[in-house]
Amino acid sequence: MIGYNTPFSTAAKHAVLIIGALIVILPFYIMATYSLKDPIEITSGTGGVFGKQEAFLDPGCVQSGNAKEDCLFNPIAYNYGQAFSKAPLLRYLFNGVVVTLSIFFIQVLVALPCAYALSKLRFWGRELVFTMVLLGLLIPVHAIALPLYIMLSKVGLTNTYAALVIPWTISVFGIFLMRQFFMTVPDDLIDAARMDGMSEFAIVWKVMLPTAIPALLAFGIFSIVAHWNDYFWPRVVITGTRELFTPPLGIREFASGIDGSDYGPMMATACVIVVPLIVAFLLAQRRFIQGITLTGMK
Amino acid sequence: MIDTPRPRGLFKTGHAFVAPAVLLMILILMVPVVVAAILSFSNYSLGSPDFDWVGVKNYSKLFARSTYKKMLTASFVYIGVVVPLSVFLGLGAALLINSLGRFGNIYKTIYFLPVMATLLVMAIVWEFILHPDVGVVNRLLALGCGTFAETILSFGWLPWVDPATTFYGHGCAQDFPHWLGSKHTALGTIIFIGVWQGFGFNMVLYLAGLTSVPRELVHASVIDGADSAWDRFWLVTWQMLGPTTVFVVVITTIRSFQVFDTVEALTDGGPVKTTYVMMYAIYEKGILQNLIGIGSAITIVFLLFVLAVTLVQRWFVERRVHYT
Repeated sequence: MIGYNTPFSTAAKHAVLIIGALIVILPFYIMATYSLKDPIEITSGTGGVFGKQEAFLDPGCVQSGNAKEDCLFNPIAYNYGQAFSKAPLLRYLFNGVVVTLSIFFIQVLVALPCAYALSKLRFWGRELVFTMVLLGLLIPVHAIALPLYIMLSKVGLTNTYAALVIPWTISVFGIFLMRQFFMTVPDDLIDAARMDGMSEFAIVWKVMLPTAIPALLAFGIFSIVAHWNDYFWPRVVITGTRELFTPPLGIREFASGIDGSDYGPMMATACVIVVPLIVAFLLAQRRFIQGITLTGMK
Repeated sequence: MIDTPRPRGLFKTGHAFVAPAVLLMILILMVPVVVAAILSFSNYSLGSPDFDWVGVKNYSKLFARSTYKKMLTASFVYIGVVVPLSVFLGLGAALLINSLGRFGNIYKTIYFLPVMATLLVMAIVWEFILHPDVGVVNRLLALGCGTFAETILSFGWLPWVDPATTFYGHGCAQDFPHWLGSKHTALGTIIFIGVWQGFGFNMVLYLAGLTSVPRELVHASVIDGADSAWDRFWLVTWQMLGPTTVFVVVITTIRSFQVFDTVEALTDGGPVKTTYVMMYAIYEKGILQNLIGIGSAITIVFLLFVLAVTLVQRWFVERRVHYT
């Protein structure tokens, strides 16, 4: 750009961007700071950023017949302790990890051979399959949640891990992306592998997969972030059984049963769910932005 | 493409490689659309053995009943405001950041945070921030009451304004809005969260787009008399960003159609259906109330909207003159 930035215009630009940044950061700040404060500091809006960190009396604890001395808590310990003890948060996190990783693993397992065949093999019906992929790109899976839900419940699969994973096993976007990528891989490489007597199957996993690592990494971030954050689909297929709750379902349940004293623990839960992704993002920004905006490179 | 003829065995390999994907595409993407289309002509519900075909009744309901009119209104108002706002803010942020060079990166990181964060969780935090009694927003607003800030913000200094009728004056005298609880502000608040969450995504796409605007073209425009920054933007940058804009608008529209998390967690479609967007309607009718027929009809209409948006995109892309 031809930016003849005068000191004044630079300052003005920073001013605008800082105001925007403050609004964008506000909920993250609130979430973090409230997870450190005691209930009184939260409802009265006092305590600065970190709270005074004085021990406070939990009225609920006294009511259930405990001695006063046993009911004094440090706010941070209390909030994060409650986050993990009031609801099985560890279980939710575990479910989240299992579901997101299974989805990604199966997506790759299905998409990679298909992408290889579409880009490097000749067979009858190849154009038809590619047309299907392009058509599939038009259908947002969330939009067809209702018929998917009916089909899954007809085969008795609602309230299972399978229900959480199955609709996402096929990523037409992943196929499309990997096909575009494989098109750029020179045929000579594949021919050389064939000369060496590799089977087509081995070529996919031992030749194509390694060349595709950067694209696969970006797609992995895209997929994992999307499914860690997904709330709609788990809400539809998991009804009741807490055992299968993913983190968003967990905090939703927490929030709906809330009374004034639970804000701290709830914000602690929120931090536990959001912070891992944020930290990963800050560590590998470029890759994350690349991954999440993958849909922008179609 | 490998053009040399291959042994017959290889043809079969191709089929074997695409088979799982094809099977899953059929089962998970194609069949459900057909199922929804069929069931939208019925009054089917899960668990009951018999049902009737009701013709187009579900569809006529969709365009006649006030509930569904409110649904379409809520959806289109949401999309109609979120898309332009988040595209505009995304572009604005990208231009500012781009012109600041290296220092801009910190803003880029910050603005991208909401895109990453779990929307449902952040929605719950927003709910707390906007809480009428203990929320930060109303508390901040109330701080100014009774001070000179009230005098200024309630516009009492304008002779023709009655301070009690302005937003701020009214807020101080009675109370500030129950953002998510009032039918006047609920949809606006959901829209705000939507923009807050999504504009960073657009910003990143625009930043990528801006790197492809050739410097020489900008210089050339200066030589040709484009003196002001606005002229240069309008004559060169905006034109070059055309393909990015088409894409950004389409992707934001499709994402906005799918808004659900904030509505489900914060308003349940209310008050008085002002935030009753389509995805929430599908969920409430089809899943919660087991009215599969009407839920399927909404699904089909939803898919048609998405298809229409994509077709408009294709038309734009094909019509477009490419400068590069």
